[in-house]
Amino acid sequence: MPRDHENRENEDMTAGAKLDELYKNRGVRAKELHNAGAIVIGYFCCFVPDEIITAFDMVPYRIQGSQSEPIDEADAFLEPMACPFVRSCFNMALKGSYDFLDGFVAPHSCDTIERIYGIWSHHRPSPFNHMINVPHMQGPSSEAFYRSELDYFIKSLEDWSGRKLENGKLIKAVSLYNERRKVLRELYDLRKSDPPLVSGTEILKALVAGMGIPGAEHLALLRRYVAHVKERPKPRKDKTPRIFIWGNEIDDAAFIQLVEECGAQAVMDDLCTTTRSFWEEVPETTDPVEGIARRYLATHCPRNDVPQKECSRISDLEQRYGYIKKFIKDWAVDGAIFYIVRYCDTCELEGPDLREYLNSLDIPVLMIEDDYSISTIGQLRTRIQAFLEMIG
Amino acid sequence: MEQREQQGKTAAVKGTDMARKVRGMVKNIYQSAHEAKQAGGKVAYSMIMSQYDEILRAMDIVPLPTENFAGVCAAKRQMDRFLLQAEADGYSQSLCSYARIGLGFDSLRKEGSGIPDNSPDGGMAMPDMMLGSSSVCDPRYKWFQAAGRFLDVPRYNVDVVSPPIRANLEDTRDYYIRYQKEQFRGLIAFLEKQTGRKMSDDRLWESIRLCDEAWRLWYEIDRLRVAVPSPMPSQDHFSIMAAAHYYAGTQIAVDFYQGLYDEVKYKAANKNGVVPDEKYRILYGAGLPPWHTLWIFNYFESFGAVFVIENVYRAYDPVEVPSSVQDPVEYLAWRTFLRVTQWHEKASARSGNPYVEKLLEMAADYKTDGVVFHACRSCRASTLGQTHIKNLLGRYTDIPMMQLTSDMVDLRDYSESQWKAQIGAFIEALAARKRG
Amino acid sequence: MLFAGLDIGSTMTKAVIVDGNEKILAALVGPTGAEHRHLAFQVMDETVRKAGLSFEALDFIVATGYGRINVPFADKQVTEITCHARGIRAIFPGTRIIIDIGGQDSKGIKLNDAGTVANFVMNDKCAAGTGRFLEVISETLGIRLSDLALISAEAEGFVKISNMCTVFAEHEVTSRLAEGARIAEIVAGLHEAIAGRVVNMVRHLGIEKDVVVTGGPAKNAGLVKAIADKVGLPVWVPPEPFITGALGAALLGKGFAKRNATRNQTRRMESVTFFA
Repeated sequence: MPRDHENRENEDMTAGAKLDELYKNRGVRAKELHNAGAIVIGYFCCFVPDEIITAFDMVPYRIQGSQSEPIDEADAFLEPMACPFVRSCFNMALKGSYDFLDGFVAPHSCDTIERIYGIWSHHRPSPFNHMINVPHMQGPSSEAFYRSELDYFIKSLEDWSGRKLENGKLIKAVSLYNERRKVLRELYDLRKSDPPLVSGTEILKALVAGMGIPGAEHLALLRRYVAHVKERPKPRKDKTPRIFIWGNEIDDAAFIQLVEECGAQAVMDDLCTTTRSFWEEVPETTDPVEGIARRYLATHCPRNDVPQKECSRISDLEQRYGYIKKFIKDWAVDGAIFYIVRYCDTCELEGPDLREYLNSLDIPVLMIEDDYSISTIGQLRTRIQAFLEMIG
Repeated sequence: MEQREQQGKTAAVKGTDMARKVRGMVKNIYQSAHEAKQAGGKVAYSMIMSQYDEILRAMDIVPLPTENFAGVCAAKRQMDRFLLQAEADGYSQSLCSYARIGLGFDSLRKEGSGIPDNSPDGGMAMPDMMLGSSSVCDPRYKWFQAAGRFLDVPRYNVDVVSPPIRANLEDTRDYYIRYQKEQFRGLIAFLEKQTGRKMSDDRLWESIRLCDEAWRLWYEIDRLRVAVPSPMPSQDHFSIMAAAHYYAGTQIAVDFYQGLYDEVKYKAANKNGVVPDEKYRILYGAGLPPWHTLWIFNYFESFGAVFVIENVYRAYDPVEVPSSVQDPVEYLAWRTFLRVTQWHEKASARSGNPYVEKLLEMAADYKTDGVVFHACRSCRASTLGQTHIKNLLGRYTDIPMMQLTSDMVDLRDYSESQWKAQIGAFIEALAARKRG
Repeated sequence: MLFAGLDIGSTMTKAVIVDGNEKILAALVGPTGAEHRHLAFQVMDETVRKAGLSFEALDFIVATGYGRINVPFADKQVTEITCHARGIRAIFPGTRIIIDIGGQDSKGIKLNDAGTVANFVMNDKCAAGTGRFLEVISETLGIRLSDLALISAEAEGFVKISNMCTVFAEHEVTSRLAEGARIAEIVAGLHEAIAGRVVNMVRHLGIEKDVVVTGGPAKNAGLVKAIADKVGLPVWVPPEPFITGALGAALLGKGFAKRNATRNQTRRMESVTFFA
């Protein structure tokens, strides 16, 4: 018996270590698959469905930047007032880091991504280049339009690859990714205890690790990882402040790690790289593209305009942030930290609104605007500590 | 001091007489909104180039262009208190400065329960609704969402979609136009609810006719500007655009451009130039103008350099909607699609970039000697891609190009000494090329 | 009972020792400087001696400021925001807003009824609105920092400095000088500009009285007056604005000791690496 336990423990440890390794060496697995003949499709943001790419037997790759590498070459082609996350990704592309991509797909998620599509595909064209127009509005006509855009994306992929998308495969891909969503939510449930069984730093790494590998591989790793985390001994209650982190593209654990080092528990988050990208499931219908369109269009990105139901500030905020109220309650959040990577107009307009909403729930908010660089993150220590001292 | 300098220099330069009438027209935008409110009419915060102008006119809704108000504040150098108020409210200094001014104004209005004292042009009347759109950039719909913090009025945003450059128009046309039509239909339903009145198709057609006529005249005026010496400088363009955008769908705009057309035609025929000795012709390549420092055009002119044409704020040439289109809303959707895809074919055939194609054509037609871009620190939409365009242009033309950086309204991002040094070097480059 | 607070700022290091009755026994201010590797030790040692005490007699030591993490002998590290709030509360009990202008950053702190931090704002990315800005520009003008207040007192108005970027502002000052502007009016313009920047930042908090200005530049009466004008309320300045953070740290130490907070077990007076 003890031996079995030990074996499983070792294997489980491997899941965590493997995720850590994938986080540190991003792109290695995708490159390996590309070299073995697989088609790797790179994309930005939360609006390009992994399900469709997977159903084509291709590998979806969510493009990431690097907060530790300086942005040097990109400035000759892209203005410095562009989102620094995008500048960093483009800088990496210019240096050849994304040469393994067989396809480059940009959704029209915001002004910067829309603009980078033409610049990137000019300087570093992939064999397949495509832009998906994503409506900013919501409602039946927007869903129908987005569906047409997805159909057009599918047609373009078919024309380019010579493959035909099979409905059965798409239905299977939908349930695969829904399963992954479920396991991830399970992992998030393990943050509900005081203190959480898994740290925010670990969670971010586990998520980023999955962005460059086939969904099935990530799912298998997550299953083992979740089982391992569940086995962890329950720590003593420690009353450290429980923090909700909101913002945009955080694909490096440095910031969340700093928050945790300052004496807080990062227990919940709403970021481009976290819940925003996976929380809600795709409705499993016989017409999978329709379900995908509906799910992806409802992504909680500040670039989406949630229509007003009635003219009242309270109802408008509730309409937009009701889902966060659940996060706050169920994860017993004490305070929120916004971490906005600069030059994101939609986040910068959203921040004060969300702060107003959270304050109305008696949740204090620390709003931070920063560059996309770990070199300056240490400067934030005082602000974070002072905030924790204030709410503690 | 700078303002005095500005007036002094403006007088020395010969712009059009019609452009001088614009100040009154702009003032009237705000005045008429106040009057409409008093008379029980409906006023809407609006965004130009949202493609819905005629719908508003057909329903007697007075548009209040919030971006223009920011420009007015900057031109009068009265923007600081609005910017500071918005920043104190938590809006980042890197956020669109038009939005910061608008939000700052609304915040001050809420705080003081009334229009802030001495607001430029009497300030913006309290709107009955806010109508944003996704046309041009993200802040143009997000701003009104955020403004809900200060204004208890309904908002309605519409999508304005344009297919990516490489998209096959045959494959996409139908569903783009269908969506555009549905977006406008949604807006109309919202407006009918707000006003309690049905929109009349006849009135919409009439408004479309007037709008198309004004925009056609404006296009003709710009065609006249190919003349050497230049009969109308860019600083006039940044005034006279007011008629097309803020009086879209009205007889006022048609009459204004008819008058301007006659004047520019006369000046071109009589070789009546902007400066006595026109040495260099400049193309304003991209970027919102520096509203805070428009006299900088006069500084160029002191070297004999005239801005003869510009690629901002007159975004579309006239388009031909198929005559089979019988429904005015469908007409608007078609026109939108044709406008936004105007340069797709040429771009696909060569540079891959519609702006590059347009600028190359302008540079040739207007015989320009140089191109100037204006990068605005707080405007992603008009700034990102300028460097790329500049790089691409360099493959097809050897005329000197320069990118100046500041902001459209935030003076804190502007350094006069730096600009003057940069302009000096640019003029030298123009001179060197002329010498061959 | 004896409690010490050590505030290591970007330009100045400050130390305060108080007794159980919150009476200040000794206070010391010295430059931080990059080469002062044993600074924390030296300053503490000197302060202890000034008070006629021994290091071992200190019951609790709290370190604060930018260099707080580099004080191995401290029992606890607390941010300068919490410390300023505590220190100012001891001096001006009715304070609601603290404006702290530091060498390389500036802060606004709002206090609640209980006198603890309710909210704060910080500018830590840019020299504008900090002591550093004044330092750079006074160098350009060739005048001493300590003379700024006197010089601006002679001004009959001010020259508007619109650029808050230190580099741009330097250019601007040079060109205003070339245009013949008087130094007094330029200095007044600088005070006006910094005050505008700082007060605007503090407006995020909602300004209420009493307002206190602290930090080294608070010794500059010209700047304080400009701030008061912007705030539209009288502002108070502590008799020794440099040490409010260190004082707060010492007073917080008393609270920690009372609540039996864990002390640093390996506390030893030895050389420490600072700003390694």
